[in-house]
Amino acid sequence: MATLINEALVSDLEVLRKKIAIRKIQGWSIIVAGVIIIVVASMFEQPIIAIIGALSLIPGIVILIKIGSETTVYKNRFKNEIIGATLSNIDPSLTLAPTNGIQEEEFIYTQLFTKEPDSYKTEDLISGKHDKTSFYFAEVHAQYKTQSQTKNGTKTEWHDIFKGIIFSADFNKHFNGTTVIRPKDLSSSIGAWFSKNIFSFGDKDLIELESEYFNKNFVTYSTDQVEGRYILTPAMMEKIAELNERSHYSISLSFINANMYIAFPLDQNYFEAPIFSSLLRPDFLSDDIAILQFMFNIATELDLNTRIWTKQ
Amino acid sequence: MIIVSIIAIAVLIFGISIYNSLISKKNQVTNAFSAIDVMLKKRFDLLPNLVEIAKQYMAYEEHTLTNITALRTKALDPNATEGDKLSLDQQISTAVSGLMVSVENYPDLKANDNFLNLQRTWTESEEQIAAARRNYNATVTSYNNAVMMFPSNMFAGMLGYVPVSVLATTDEERKNISAKDLFNK
Repeated sequence: MATLINEALVSDLEVLRKKIAIRKIQGWSIIVAGVIIIVVASMFEQPIIAIIGALSLIPGIVILIKIGSETTVYKNRFKNEIIGATLSNIDPSLTLAPTNGIQEEEFIYTQLFTKEPDSYKTEDLISGKHDKTSFYFAEVHAQYKTQSQTKNGTKTEWHDIFKGIIFSADFNKHFNGTTVIRPKDLSSSIGAWFSKNIFSFGDKDLIELESEYFNKNFVTYSTDQVEGRYILTPAMMEKIAELNERSHYSISLSFINANMYIAFPLDQNYFEAPIFSSLLRPDFLSDDIAILQFMFNIATELDLNTRIWTKQ
Repeated sequence: MIIVSIIAIAVLIFGISIYNSLISKKNQVTNAFSAIDVMLKKRFDLLPNLVEIAKQYMAYEEHTLTNITALRTKALDPNATEGDKLSLDQQISTAVSGLMVSVENYPDLKANDNFLNLQRTWTESEEQIAAARRNYNATVTSYNNAVMMFPSNMFAGMLGYVPVSVLATTDEERKNISAKDLFNK
C-alpha cells in the first residue's frame, strides 16, 4: 500500500526527517558533551572549565528549540498527508482528526472499565463507514493514581487503566439496556462465583452464557438478561471469540445506546511520524496499515452490515 | 461463648441466604417463562397484518394463510397452556418460513415496504424469542443446580421444590441467522 502513496511527497518528507534527525543528534551531542565537561571539571575542582561546559549547553538547547517547530510541521504533514492517503487507499470514507479523540466523558460512559481516570489522553480520531455501519476509533491512554505515605513524604504512583484503541460502531439491532463484557480477572471471577452459588450476595446483572469460551475468558453483565442474550447470539459470541483470539491482549466490549464499543489494549503508539528511521523503507507503514485494516474489517468480522432486523 | 454466638449467627445468615437464593431462583424461572410469553404474544400480534398484506398478493397461498390464522387463534385461546403456546409457535414459525420462501414467486409483494418491514419485525421477534428461551434455560439450570446440590437441596426438599425441564433448542437457536437465506437476495 505504501507504493500507492505519492513518492514525491514521501521523498519531500524524508528530506525534512533527515534534517530533523541530524539536528536532534547534534543538539543532544552538544548537551551530553557539556554535561560531561561540567561533571569532570567539578570532580577536579576546575570552575572555569565547568563554566565553559555550562556555556556549551546553550548552542545545544538552541538547536533543539529551533528544530522543534519543524518537527511539529513534519509530524502534522505525516499524519495529514501520509496517514490521510493511507486511509483513502483503504476506503474513501475514512477521515483522520489527529488532535481529536474519544472524550473522557464518553470513555467513562462506555463502562468498559470500572475505574475512572485521573489522567486521560486521546488522539488520532478516525471515522468512517463500512457499507451500512458507521464507526470511529481513537487512541486512548487512561491512568489512575495511588498515593502512599513514605518517610520522605507522599509518594504518587501512576497505573494504566487502559492504553490502546477504543472502537465504536453503530450496532445492527435495537436495544434499550446496557450489556458489558470484560476480561475475567480474579475479582470478577470471585463476584461471578458468588452470583452463581450464593445469589443473595452476587451481582444480579451477571449473565451466565452457553459458550464455554465466553465464560472462561469473560465476565458478562447486562441490565436485561433477555436483551443481553438477544445481542449475544451464539453466532455473535463465536465472532467475538475469534476477534479476541486475534488480539494480542484480551478485549472488552460494551453495548450502550445503539452503539457497541470495543477496547483493544495495545503497546504501540500508532500513526506517529518516525524521526530516526527512514520513510523510504518499504515497510515503514506496515504496522499502521495492519491496524487500520483490522479496525475497518470489524464491521464485516462481526457481521454488523447484516441489517435484517428493524434497525437499518 | 462469644465465638459460639458468632458461629451461630454466621450459620443463620448463611442459611437465610441459601433459603432466599432458592426462592429467588424459583421466582426467576417463573419470570423467565413470562418473558417468553410476552415475546410470543408480540409475535402472534404480527400475524394479522402479515396475513392481510400477503392475501392481497398471494392468491395461490390461501391454504397457508388460513392455516396461520387458525394457529394464531388457537395460540391466543385463554385456555392454551404454556406448552401448547410453545408448540403452536413452532408450527406458526414453520408455516411463516414456508410463506417467506413463497414470497420469491410474488415480486410485487417482495417490493412492498409494509411487507418488508413486517418481515424484519418477524425476524427480530424470532431472535428475541430465541434469547428469551436461552434465558429461561439458563435460569432453569441455575435453579436445578440449587435444588440438587448440597446444602441448598436440604431447603429445596423442605419447600417441595423439584427440578424443572429445560426447553429443547430450536433450529433458530442453533443456526446462524443468514440475511441471504431470509431475504433470498
